[in-house]
Amino acid sequence: MTQKHILDGYKIIDFTQYLAGPSATRLMAEMGADIVKVEVAPHGDPSRSFPFRANKRSAYFVQQNRGKKSLCLDVKNEKSKAVLTELIKQCDVLIENFAPGVIGRLGFDWETVHKLNPKLVMCSMSAFGQTGPLSHLPGFDYIAQAYAGVTSVIGEPDKPPSLPMLGIGDVTTGVHACGALGYALLDVHRTGEGQLLDISLLDCYFHQHEINVQAYSASKGKIVPRRSGSHHYAVAPTGIFQGPEGYIMILALLHQWPEMCKAMGREDMIKDPKFASNDARVENLQELIKVIEGWLQSFDTDEAAMAALQAVRVPVAPILTIPQAVAHPHHRQRGTIRKISDRMLGEFDIPGVPLRYSNFPDLLPLDAPFLGEQNREILGEWLGYSSEQIEAMESDGILINAQH
Amino acid sequence: MTRKHVLDGVKVLDFTHVLAGPTCTRLMVETGADVIKVEAAPVGDMVRFMPALKNGRSGYYIQQNRGKKAICLNLRDKRAQEIVHKLVKDVDVVVENFTPGVMKRLNIDYETLSAINPNLIMCSISAFGQQGELSNLPGFDYIAQAYAGVIDMIGEEDGPPYFPGLGMGDVSTGAHAYGAVTAALFHRERGGSGQHLDIALLDCLFHCHELNVQGYDGSGGELVPHRSGAHHFAVAPLGLFKGKEKYLVIIAIGAQWNNLLKVIGKEEFNDDPRFADNAGRTEHKQVLIDAIETWLASTESDDDAVRILQENHVPVAPVLSVPEAMAHPHLIERQTVRTVTDRAFGDVKVPGMPLRFSAFPDFPDLQAGFLGEHNSEVLSSVGYSESDIKTLLDDGVLADEPIPT
Repeated sequence: MTQKHILDGYKIIDFTQYLAGPSATRLMAEMGADIVKVEVAPHGDPSRSFPFRANKRSAYFVQQNRGKKSLCLDVKNEKSKAVLTELIKQCDVLIENFAPGVIGRLGFDWETVHKLNPKLVMCSMSAFGQTGPLSHLPGFDYIAQAYAGVTSVIGEPDKPPSLPMLGIGDVTTGVHACGALGYALLDVHRTGEGQLLDISLLDCYFHQHEINVQAYSASKGKIVPRRSGSHHYAVAPTGIFQGPEGYIMILALLHQWPEMCKAMGREDMIKDPKFASNDARVENLQELIKVIEGWLQSFDTDEAAMAALQAVRVPVAPILTIPQAVAHPHHRQRGTIRKISDRMLGEFDIPGVPLRYSNFPDLLPLDAPFLGEQNREILGEWLGYSSEQIEAMESDGILINAQH
Repeated sequence: MTRKHVLDGVKVLDFTHVLAGPTCTRLMVETGADVIKVEAAPVGDMVRFMPALKNGRSGYYIQQNRGKKAICLNLRDKRAQEIVHKLVKDVDVVVENFTPGVMKRLNIDYETLSAINPNLIMCSISAFGQQGELSNLPGFDYIAQAYAGVIDMIGEEDGPPYFPGLGMGDVSTGAHAYGAVTAALFHRERGGSGQHLDIALLDCLFHCHELNVQGYDGSGGELVPHRSGAHHFAVAPLGLFKGKEKYLVIIAIGAQWNNLLKVIGKEEFNDDPRFADNAGRTEHKQVLIDAIETWLASTESDDDAVRILQENHVPVAPVLSVPEAMAHPHLIERQTVRTVTDRAFGDVKVPGMPLRFSAFPDFPDLQAGFLGEHNSEVLSSVGYSESDIKTLLDDGVLADEPIPT
């Protein structure tokens, strides 16, 4: 038997909605798992209404939910609970991102599902975690970002902080969950024992402080992480510089700094005490920026300025807009950006799959489901319900479906 | 037999440095793998010189490298390459984040290593990936962020873009790599072969565009993602609002919209056609911002405003500074922030382990290696004698530093 991908044959019951949870199961769908997305009747995942929308279909929803089977039911109804109980017995993973406590009120807390299926791995994702004083609060990406001290380090020092305009926290938390689930499955394979994973946006955001936490702590408060506009507050030169045309990101750390001085024809700066060490460069940042931007202005184009830095292996990049990034030949050639086709929306671009396996170089053909599209398949083929039983649940409003 | 964690017994040879790669192997160590970190002689990982520095030791290095065994080799020397070839026979995973092409020049690329150990899983992490026109460029987190259209989305609409003050791209890419390695290990455990993984910062950062890419393309270019300061460009109300003392994040979408209107005493907005849907609320967001900030100004304090909004199930958060976050009781109770003790540095706070496994609730006690600390231990495990090791050290094939007592 050839395997279609790494998670071929694995069954996931997916209670997630919005972005963080669906990112985890989206990656698992891309790796070949069978995902039953349980959607709460009557409307299903709230992200079905998120922009961009056309033909009653959300491209946002499509991006996150391709390759999943949609089971839409009234989760509070006893007959639905019987369906979910049977499914949990068959599945390898249960994943959910309700506010803590909700999955228990639905009757599927860890103790219950662990008894139903001892091999099951359960992954609970939340804004603040399953424990701690904030755990009961509702939350989204930017809420956890603010509590993690992340928002406070973005923006000009004397102005309000600035929002990073993409769901970095949700997607990254989904990736953390995907990694944890993989290893927990590996553990089931070796021991036969399932376990519970508690993954939070707050933890995953906080996890990304590479300098701020240890530097504040270890310097006994001498280094205070803070937002500092277009340049790093503790490392220089590391920031966004005005080029002849647009903005250019430049990082010249350690050994790269002397190379950059040479490229600028300013070998004198290598030994100049004002610029000789990172601390000195941070202290004299404004002067440093003036020198670098003055040199950048001596070129006719950003491309020429970047080529001069690339020639001496100094990391440099143009600040691409989304339209420029999606048109970049490298991004296209690698599939960092890819075109998909949806039955209602037609063709459009989404980010590609960032996990690349040499044994499975091809991407699977996946479709995002209509609401409740696989109700009949899951109840009938997976669980053995008769057509009459399914029709009765449909007419009682327990099972819901729609053509979009 | 009790196992210390899920990856107990998994052996990793780690050629990574700086941040993205070390994050991946750090998560592997925290989950029980044996990691041998190979550092390039003579000075090792460049972050050994990154702040905060104390007693000749870097807090940056400690945070990323606790629990790894440190060996330090001059990989340009054939004898060092031989050591790697011997070590690779007995490892499950190789992780590296050199610029593409470097591993091949050092004679330790996937083709060479997988010929020695066909079951090997190798994970290559790079800024731009192993192929494509940018792939041979050096790069760091922020370089890939710029190419991924991330930096352009941060800042005021009419001002320069801002620099996000933390290594989100590197850590996220490390977590992506960790996920990919686990699935590859799992595949092998089920009878599959080893394989090579190609993980790029550019891919992982671009992967975080939940709205921008499909929104731009799906709308046929009508919706152009752009930076817009403290408020989202396409969703409202969603942004940073001026509170009595500081800024608060408030998000009210779906059912929370009605809860918010009740709190701020603007239930009439419900019948206002301007606010019938998200598109209308975004178009007229200034009216919403004014109404919300007027209400915030009428509260007693930010704490009071946060409490009222939380009681009414409106997602809200104070914008905490890093020191405030580190002192928050929730982060402390959960060990989202934790204190580790380094042999030379002493106590230092670092971010906690974000992956929590119920079968392994304890966080292992781990130490970051000194340069070349485990040279002898690792080399003797593949048959080098004490005098062989001394010769290699004298010849500069191995390097180390004194370990303070």
